Amino acid sequence: MEINPHTTETAAPSPPAGSATAPPRLSDPERWVEEHGDYLFKYALVRLRDATKAEDMVQETFLAALKGSDKFAGRSAEKSWLVGILKNKICDHYRKASRETSFTDTEFYCAEESDKFISNGLFKGGWIHELGPLEWSSDPGASLDSVEFWKTFHDCSNKMPGNVTTVFTMREVDGVECKEICKLLNISENNLWVMLHRARMALRRCLETNWFGKKT
Amino acid sequence: MPRNELVWEKDMKLIEALKTRWIVWVWNHTPTCAEMSRWASVSLDRPASLKVRFKMRLHNLICVWCERYQKHLTFLHRAAPQLPEQLETTAHRTLSVEAKQRMVQRLYAAHNC
Repeated sequence: MEINPHTTETAAPSPPAGSATAPPRLSDPERWVEEHGDYLFKYALVRLRDATKAEDMVQETFLAALKGSDKFAGRSAEKSWLVGILKNKICDHYRKASRETSFTDTEFYCAEESDKFISNGLFKGGWIHELGPLEWSSDPGASLDSVEFWKTFHDCSNKMPGNVTTVFTMREVDGVECKEICKLLNISENNLWVMLHRARMALRRCLETNWFGKKT
Repeated sequence: MPRNELVWEKDMKLIEALKTRWIVWVWNHTPTCAEMSRWASVSLDRPASLKVRFKMRLHNLICVWCERYQKHLTFLHRAAPQLPEQLETTAHRTLSVEAKQRMVQRLYAAHNC
């Protein structure tokens, strides 16, 4: 048995021919954790916003991978295979969460909208001038290369209530179709649109305050 | 000279009056900014009808805030898919050494039984 944390691929004895499709040897779990652990962890963390949960999810992924390793016949890259397992685990988690928490909480919604638009008069429903969207820099795309920008982006999206963040991440980050999200979380499409609207509004404003407004 | 100036001033007043009427007309015939912000979001999730698109364009002619709002939303909509990758390269957070050890141990335990 080679339980050596420093086993590298080159140092490992070369396996017999046809190893590409052979079930993983005992050294594999170690290599998995070393090579893919961080990636999977970040993948889960971005979507679950909870380090402990993310860690558990990665652990479960590896365990499931170990069990199902004979099904993985080297058809796809190892990383995308593991990500695929993790994705399913996260979907299961969302499904479970949607049963436990209400996705129709309105608390967050009211605060977001009512105070930004004129409440009466001829221009009722118009932007209150001082609170209207500002002109971002001439080239907001340049921000995409900035480490700080993404940190701000992440922090801003974390400020929303959990279920709104979940919906936002699924739709905007993972690009899941609306119909699928509705099915998974068991909510109406209208409900989803309202949540996305509020999420985008909150994120836009947060980034304007903490990033785009600050720079100039 | 003074007479020319007077004509000029009159023209300007007329133009201003027309501008105001145009703005009020557009305002009365298009959704409010609050509704526009909702439409802006929904149009990222499903294609908007021609009528909706036309009304939004019309509203944008008189409202710089709504135009910006839509621009910002589209920008964030296009940027968001990069988030996981960006967080990966910026090493926002990684698994701790202890967590990794725990995982390896559990995997061995699972493997042996």
